[in-house]
Amino acid sequence: MLLRKYLKTATAGLSLVASAAVFAQFGAPTPDAMPFPMAFETSRDHYDHLLDYYEGGVQHDYMSVPKWEGLWSTGGNTGGNRPFMTDGEVIEGVLTPEYEAAFHYRRNLGGESNSLGVDYDRLTTCEPAGMPRWLLEPYVREFLNTPTYSLWHNDLGNDTRRIYINQEHINIDGTHFASGDSIGFWAVDDDLGDVLIVHTEDIYPADFFRGTPPTSNQAESVEIWYEYWDAENNEKKLGVNVYWYDDLALLEPLSLVYTFRYREDMENAGLRMRYWECAQNNNTYLTRDENGNPSTQYRLPGEPGYVDPRGTPATRNPDLPPDLAGQEKSPTFDDAFDFAF
Amino acid sequence: MRLSLKKLSAVALAVLTLGVVDFAVAHHSFAMFDRAREEVTGGEVVRWAFNSPHVALYIRDEAGEIFAYEGAAPASLVTRDEPMNGFTFQPGDTVELVVCPLHDGRNGGALGIIIKDDVWYRPNDGGCGPNEAWEDWMSKGYMSKQEALDAGEMIDEDM
Repeated sequence: MLLRKYLKTATAGLSLVASAAVFAQFGAPTPDAMPFPMAFETSRDHYDHLLDYYEGGVQHDYMSVPKWEGLWSTGGNTGGNRPFMTDGEVIEGVLTPEYEAAFHYRRNLGGESNSLGVDYDRLTTCEPAGMPRWLLEPYVREFLNTPTYSLWHNDLGNDTRRIYINQEHINIDGTHFASGDSIGFWAVDDDLGDVLIVHTEDIYPADFFRGTPPTSNQAESVEIWYEYWDAENNEKKLGVNVYWYDDLALLEPLSLVYTFRYREDMENAGLRMRYWECAQNNNTYLTRDENGNPSTQYRLPGEPGYVDPRGTPATRNPDLPPDLAGQEKSPTFDDAFDFAF
Repeated sequence: MRLSLKKLSAVALAVLTLGVVDFAVAHHSFAMFDRAREEVTGGEVVRWAFNSPHVALYIRDEAGEIFAYEGAAPASLVTRDEPMNGFTFQPGDTVELVVCPLHDGRNGGALGIIIKDDVWYRPNDGGCGPNEAWEDWMSKGYMSKQEALDAGEMIDEDM
């Protein structure tokens, strides 16, 4: 059943709706999405509803706050293009007419030799993923919780979300942000255990993922985060149900599920999250194909703009003598070769 | 007070299908790589850059020309069946590669397979998905996917 159809049903009855099926599916790779408890005018109304439901939530201290340390990567999800496409075709009536047209426009720019609509990606220019794409990028995550705020780091683009606990939104900047401004509160749910309810606003227009519909600068979200055990795969996971509101892009809000796998194997392999040096290491760039459509190209050694990710990029030390010893990023290359890109 | 989202429910519905993400691991489009071609090459390692956003292997061929090949992100490579890290390939190492070259013919492309000391590493992301037949094809001396197909080799598309 399509969510929008479900929502109409829920709205008509104004019934409180969530999903019992959600909690029966913990052994599955991806829990089912939670339906909306009722129709809300705004995402803030939804958040306030949950705040009332949980009677203001729980104030944790450093000892009691849920610990989600370690390395995580993305697991199953219901995001990406799943709400918008089926059998290779765009599902009509999920997006507003303007954004549905924009989605077709984007897809029609893609070359036949590649998946439609993905000849170019904003991330090529080192933009952070932003929301909601932050939830789907398949790299490494850290989730650090304190009693007053949570820091959730995605190594892609050094894209950190900050969730201010038991606080209100503040925006003194007069603009939006890639990850928006997030507030939240902890609560205890009988079925899920500790949950963190998050509200996010002031988000840049972005994407659900590469080649998906765009989001607008009106997008906001309500998220329900929890830890669970995926019995089928015998692994610890984080799950989040994301209620995505976007009056300009969506005819009705969406309910989406994303999960994250605890990656002890990455830790055992010695992986530590490093600074994502996109500006100094990335050699892809925006170009135009023969039809003038945006596409992606790759710089090679010796070409203008090329950066040497382990050597001495010309852009790094223009104020130093070019033959200064010890300036390669890795000493492996100091004297290994009489070679320069 | 302990409350339950389940108790909040009047109707239980599974709204969206279960799914596991199958997006290619990369931070950009692969439009510049010719994924339909898979070619064997090789040479001497000049640089192995185990950096975000993508690893890169630079080799010098027998003619002295430099080639640059891009692979997946470091975080992905450390848990591959044959794990890789920043020390796996050193300057001066001799390697054989299966790559998907750039469409425009310049000296570069996407990494598919790296063979060093008879160990097969697969650092690829969506830029190059070499099929599983390569261990067999390499032993038969094929230098490209097209050459193998022209010789009557079959590809199991389900692999």
